[in-house]
Amino acid sequence: MSARIAVVLFPGTNSEDETLRLLRDCGGDAELVHWSRPAELRDFDAYVLPGGFAYEDRIRAGAIAAHDPAMDEVIAGAQRGKLVLGICNGAQILLEAGLVPGTAPARRPTAAFTHNGPIPHFVCRHVYVKLAIDPSRCAITRALSPAAIIPAWTANGEGRLAATPEHLDEIAGGGHLAFVYAHADGRVDARANPNESARGCAGLVNREGNVLALMPHPERDAWNFNHLDRPAGADPLTPSGGAELFRSFVAAVRA
Amino acid sequence: MVDQRSAPGVALRDDEVRRIRERLGREPSIVELHAFDAQWSEHCSYKSSRHHLKRLPTQGPDVVLGPGEDSGIVHLGEHGGRRYGVVVAHESHNHPSQVVPFEGAATGIGGIVRDVLCMGAEVIAVADPLRFGRVEHPESHQRYVARSAVDGIAAYGNAIGVPNLAGDAYFDEGFDDNCLVNVVALGIVAEDEIVHSFAPENAAGWDLLLVGKATDPSGFGGASFSSLSLDAADEQANKGAVQVPDPFLKNVLMRATYRVFAALRERGIVPGFKDLGAGGIMGCSAELAASGGYGADINLDEVNVAVEGMAPEVIAVGETQERLLWALPPDVTPAVVRIYNEEFTLPQVAFNARATIVGRITEEKKYVLRHRGRIVMDVDVDFLTGAIRDELPYQPAEGFAPAEAARPRADLGAEALPLLERVLAHRDVCSREPLYRRYDAVVRGATVIPRGYADAGVLAPVRGSRLGVALAVAGNPRCGRLDPRRAAELAVATAACRVAAVGARPAGLTDCLNFGNPRNPAQYGEFVAAVDGLARAAGELGLAFVSGNVSLYNESESGKAIPASAIVACIGTIGDVARTITPGFKRPGAPIFLLGNRAPERGGSAIAELLGIDDAVPAPSYAALRAELALLRRASEEGIVAACTAIAGGGALVAVAKTAFAAHRAGRRLGVTLDQPCGFHEAPGFVLEVADEARFAALARECGAVARRAGAVAEMPCIAAGGERREVDELMDCWSRPLEEIYP
Repeated sequence: MSARIAVVLFPGTNSEDETLRLLRDCGGDAELVHWSRPAELRDFDAYVLPGGFAYEDRIRAGAIAAHDPAMDEVIAGAQRGKLVLGICNGAQILLEAGLVPGTAPARRPTAAFTHNGPIPHFVCRHVYVKLAIDPSRCAITRALSPAAIIPAWTANGEGRLAATPEHLDEIAGGGHLAFVYAHADGRVDARANPNESARGCAGLVNREGNVLALMPHPERDAWNFNHLDRPAGADPLTPSGGAELFRSFVAAVRA
Repeated sequence: MVDQRSAPGVALRDDEVRRIRERLGREPSIVELHAFDAQWSEHCSYKSSRHHLKRLPTQGPDVVLGPGEDSGIVHLGEHGGRRYGVVVAHESHNHPSQVVPFEGAATGIGGIVRDVLCMGAEVIAVADPLRFGRVEHPESHQRYVARSAVDGIAAYGNAIGVPNLAGDAYFDEGFDDNCLVNVVALGIVAEDEIVHSFAPENAAGWDLLLVGKATDPSGFGGASFSSLSLDAADEQANKGAVQVPDPFLKNVLMRATYRVFAALRERGIVPGFKDLGAGGIMGCSAELAASGGYGADINLDEVNVAVEGMAPEVIAVGETQERLLWALPPDVTPAVVRIYNEEFTLPQVAFNARATIVGRITEEKKYVLRHRGRIVMDVDVDFLTGAIRDELPYQPAEGFAPAEAARPRADLGAEALPLLERVLAHRDVCSREPLYRRYDAVVRGATVIPRGYADAGVLAPVRGSRLGVALAVAGNPRCGRLDPRRAAELAVATAACRVAAVGARPAGLTDCLNFGNPRNPAQYGEFVAAVDGLARAAGELGLAFVSGNVSLYNESESGKAIPASAIVACIGTIGDVARTITPGFKRPGAPIFLLGNRAPERGGSAIAELLGIDDAVPAPSYAALRAELALLRRASEEGIVAACTAIAGGGALVAVAKTAFAAHRAGRRLGVTLDQPCGFHEAPGFVLEVADEARFAALARECGAVARRAGAVAEMPCIAAGGERREVDELMDCWSRPLEEIYP
């Protein structure tokens, strides 16, 4: 049975093209849905919130979009167990909507992806993220191997997880820290963390494991042609690298 | 005599006003004066440059569309039975960026993106060649400009979701009073879906649909402003001439326009579509109509405005950003309006932004503007938009040639390595990463080689296709100061070598000519010499210019002009991105070759500046270059080029070092052992790691290229030459750090 994935477009979204393309190349039945037609979202089985600057990042990144009528549908769907993946600005929206870490009611954000450290400006840099939970803890990561390393690009000005120390303990202790920044060989240290994100956090998952928010972009290092170290003779158009997460997502949507 | 005080800010000369009055047979209205002022400005008319630019080659087998519309188009290749083209535009936003650098640089991106978009293309990349003054002093205006311009480019380009693929930056006292913020943009279009910047056949009676931001008083007088020298006394007035960027609205406007393209194609409609740039609604509508052989009739009361009570000339020629104009058949217009205003909710995205019909195309070739029931402009449209020409006198520019005795020219052997750290740390050689890491390099997910990883950025722009496009820029101002003609030649040669170094075939050029005051014969002579140089180099290399831009009056109030700055971008095409040469040395023991006629001249080089050497600028050796480009092309098609770096700023030894740095960045801790002299001369050439030495040597013979084996890739992470060695990590440190103070 075909399960349909909506790539939700807000005014200011800018990563819908690669997100949609990768979902389709990974076998997903995906299409774009506009903010001007929120009711259409109800008929979809899963949602992807792509990167960008929804509503110009006014107030805080993701803060306005979290209150867009389109998010009524996404929140309702998430609460009914639909899968939701947010990347970069999409991750910020999920955090602002309170869907991750999801320890408080919807639209009551408990943490923030805020201005990068040490210097608060936009940084574009290639990174790796490491799966920091058991793959089965989150439906979207179920097909990944334990401690999977995924290449991605960080490209944001507000990607640093910030919360009270108590809440950070709750996030880590409750298994919400889905991905951490790492080196290509899996080592985790401060140099791998591009923006001083608390606990090296690159991604958060909710308690139920159906909503995943990831700050860096795996969809921008997701075909062989994207990789600078691609093996000679590899088909440049074959999805790989960052595509592993999307494959796992598409498999979960179909399951 | 027209009372000029009644039209403040008009830059028309007396003889031009006289010409208008004679043609109209009456006094021109205020609106007309402003309209001619914009339309006849250097910025719009190229009146003092056009006849020189005619010398540039603009035709060739790769040219789909040469100069003349908003952008040019280079043929990329075929995929799925369709031909694809790369849309190319190049502009400057120098004057605005000197006055208000953040907004000036941001609107530079905003404007160029519209030039590409209106050809029916998806915008796929931008690139920024930048020239700033001395930034050493933390409190200097120069540092403020250098920082804010970069922040403006980042803010705009990142928000609209277009990757920054290439660019360069120089810091030189010659730009203390006039920075250069040039911008290149690329788009991708199926060649049978190109939209033109003119009203098509049988368009009389069609709607003129204005789309985008509400017109406001910002950017009034912009075209004339950039056609004058900057004067500190007018700085406040100039600030008002700079437009206000809105990348958020542009993001939505671009996406809505892609949707409109699709809707029009479904209906088989060929529209006219043009960006509103210099001269605002008037300039755009007049050119859209006139270039199709029509006139236009516009009602300024229909324009969506941001504030009430604006004077008609402000609505007509103000350069509010984020606007485009369609010529559409009236039965199609409502569907297009619906896409912009309802599906993409423009009126909710920005105050009073929308698509709105403001007038129509007319059979009669008159240009008419109405305001509050009165006709405020009524002129022959061809007179308004027609070619005007200023033949200004110029003094031929001679290249610098030192006395024979003043030329210490021996190539450096063992003594080169101790100088390498200093050259790598030179402000024009060191890593640009602190600057470009603020730009999104990979949005759209089509990036094959991101900016900064190799000599050119590479994209795979056609979904599902292996076709690749490469982009690089060049233009060394230190060469420009010494020899405008050779500097222009080197800009073409270097840009072409840079795209060749990633395995692309140089396929087309675009230029931005940044010079001083054309009314100063010496400064104008530099411009003429540079055009000669561009024409020569492009002709020798068989390349055509498909678009370009001229920015004159880059002169400070003291009458000092910027160094001659012919800045060139080269577009390269790749048949299969799997053949792209990836950055960095690959295999220990592999041979390293030097290609290139190592001309002895060092004028304009980093080493000449560091050592205080007065020398001539090297002349490219075209026969050698053609042979090297042919060799590189064949060798990369056969897959035997493992790594390649073009020799440019810092010379061959820096090219070797950068190839080692690229390997380290990719996690391969390799070094180099050099057994041939390898110095800092900057004449074009290449450093290569070769996978099959015998085959490469045979190809070199066939192509007539001189390939010199200079050493080998080493397992040890050091660069060793003439008994000296340096750790790659330490060299990389020297190279990475210098700009971090400016761009922390």
